[in-house]
Amino acid sequence: MPDEGLVVEARGADLLAVRFTAMASPCEVLVPSMSHHAALAIAAVAAQETWRIEKKFSRYRDDSITAWMHRNRGIAIEVDEETAALMDFASRCFDLSEGLFDITSGVLRRVWRFDGSDRIPDAAAVAALLPLIGFAKLQWNPPRLLLPEGMELDFGGIGKEYAVDRAYELLAARHTIPFLVNLGGDLRANRRPSHGPWQVGIERPDTEREPSLLLDLEHGALATSGDSRRYLLRDGVRYGHILHPGTGWPVPGAPRSVTVAASSCTEAGLLATMALLHGSRARAFLDEEGARYWVLQ
Amino acid sequence: MQLKTDEAQLRRRLIAASCALLATSAAHSQEAAITGFVQDVLKEWQFESALAYYHEDGRIQAVEPVVSAGRDYGDGGSIGLNFTFDALSGSSPNGALPSHAPQTFASPSAKSFTSAKHLYTTAPGNLPVDPNYSDARVAVGADWTLPLTRLSRLTLGGKVSFEDDFYSGSANVAVAHDFNDKNTTVSFGVNDESDIIQPIGNTPVPLSDYSAFAKEGNKSKNGVGALLGVTQVMTRNWLTELNLSVDRFTGYLNDPYKFTSIINSAGGTTGYEYENRPDQRVRKSAYWENRVSWSYRLSTALSLRYMSDDWGVRSDTAQLHLRWSLSDRDRYVEPTFRWYRQTAADFFTPFILTKPTTDFEASDSRLAAFHAMTYGVKYAQKLPGLGSRPESEISIRAEYYQQTLDVRTPVPQALQGLDLYPGVKAVLVQIGWRF
Repeated sequence: MPDEGLVVEARGADLLAVRFTAMASPCEVLVPSMSHHAALAIAAVAAQETWRIEKKFSRYRDDSITAWMHRNRGIAIEVDEETAALMDFASRCFDLSEGLFDITSGVLRRVWRFDGSDRIPDAAAVAALLPLIGFAKLQWNPPRLLLPEGMELDFGGIGKEYAVDRAYELLAARHTIPFLVNLGGDLRANRRPSHGPWQVGIERPDTEREPSLLLDLEHGALATSGDSRRYLLRDGVRYGHILHPGTGWPVPGAPRSVTVAASSCTEAGLLATMALLHGSRARAFLDEEGARYWVLQ
Repeated sequence: MQLKTDEAQLRRRLIAASCALLATSAAHSQEAAITGFVQDVLKEWQFESALAYYHEDGRIQAVEPVVSAGRDYGDGGSIGLNFTFDALSGSSPNGALPSHAPQTFASPSAKSFTSAKHLYTTAPGNLPVDPNYSDARVAVGADWTLPLTRLSRLTLGGKVSFEDDFYSGSANVAVAHDFNDKNTTVSFGVNDESDIIQPIGNTPVPLSDYSAFAKEGNKSKNGVGALLGVTQVMTRNWLTELNLSVDRFTGYLNDPYKFTSIINSAGGTTGYEYENRPDQRVRKSAYWENRVSWSYRLSTALSLRYMSDDWGVRSDTAQLHLRWSLSDRDRYVEPTFRWYRQTAADFFTPFILTKPTTDFEASDSRLAAFHAMTYGVKYAQKLPGLGSRPESEISIRAEYYQQTLDVRTPVPQALQGLDLYPGVKAVLVQIGWRF
């Protein structure tokens, strides 16, 4: 069944939501009210693309391309075109952010566990990981990659936004009806529904359910970076989960979350992530970029 | 400033990198891109087609195919095109009154009563109808809406239609502006229409004796109108709309095929004369509609219209649509009820007893006082769409219309046993396909 794992529900009189779960997040495709099988047929394309990307790039799966690359450290391997495109994109982002955005910084998770406790890692343990971080240390000659021993790649920082854009493109190539693809809060819509703009809620950091901000979106993408529930607290100091790839320590003064509007979800997500990496300069960075954004401090 | 330039460049590069990523993956996607002209047209345009059959009891019947195509650009802009063809045939009332004696008439194309092939006879007691009525109409319309600002739109429209004896062209311009978080839309439009009337057998001279065959050349009429509309979102499930309009028609407003019986005090028909209406008509109307979605399954639309014109015609219309969705909205039924009532035009008269003192007279039942009920039901079924379309819809609609004339004019004793004002009963069946 192409629509297995999909659930349709009405959202008011005018909208249907087709819900599914992917990338450990609640996902949905919103369409105007129509027959359920039509809505399922539309959403199934988006869900299958999302699941495909999750399966291919997940760092939690043994059969993912990420796991395969990790198994082949130290030897030159040739990657497929989609993986190469993502590697190229990560490379451009590393350059543009002057090293701030780095898909090799995931190794820091070995010492940093943001579980709300006060377990701050030992400075020496953090320092010991720094040699394993740095996109420039990879030998990336598309499509050939040599991943040095001990290093890790993590597409988690761009995978969800990429999946939103991919699912969006597939639906846009097929339909002209208004639709919105929402993968765990990162979303993109093609056009305004006839009854009024899409309404998107952004969560307040201190409450889980109550949206603190309701935005009207006609078309375009929104992406949110940051997670208000992932932090450590010690001696009254809050350690946010955004780690600087150069120091291995949380970026001081980083907002709890940043939401950015842009034409694609990938662009919105990168702007939001880069803003967090600018710490207390997050707003200034977004202002300089001329971005439309919402910051929860 | 230098910093800002550099940073803005960062964003531009980021956009370029995002585009490169998505373009690469799209090009190598397992999903084939949709190509081909037909698929492109199907993807971008919405089509609606319908075929209607209309039958009046003992009178005309009509077959009407309609095709419309629309494209929505998503930024507030849209294009709509529509094409209609009507083929009417059957019997049309000529305006004369039933009589105890047979009545013989000449077809509009006749030039005298001498050629038998142009004549028709109505049996005693029957409503006189021209049995050879036929007309075909082709109409083509287009409208184009373009966004002016984020909150306002301009619509330009035009329509032409051709019949055997009638040519019409119209144009309209409207602007709409959204207020109050797009919960309120105010629109204002004007339209202009020009018509040319070329009656079969030329235009009869108004008030002339029917048997004199006094004819004139072609005629024209012109209409201008304005409409002010307000649409308000009251709640998430309730939309209300109010429209006020005024229009003014000038020129030849007669029906060239209609004439009035001249009867004597004994009830005998002594002759006929062609109708004569004023050459100007100003009409004002108010329309109020409420659309409410009561539940996931039930929604209603209730509309009320009031119209009055300077001919003395005032009308009220009330219409209720109910849409009941069945089984996950794959099917719905839509019962419709419409009630209509109008007063007669000041110059309406079912017959002339003596030569009239007024300059204006018409016996056309459309200008008489009457009331009418329409009962309809539509059933629609959603189907999988063509090509990449999410869905299509087929529907069938049936309507029954019953018109009752409310003419109170005193009639001579001798005519009182006749059914002088039989009214109209009609059925309409329409099948539709939206894809």
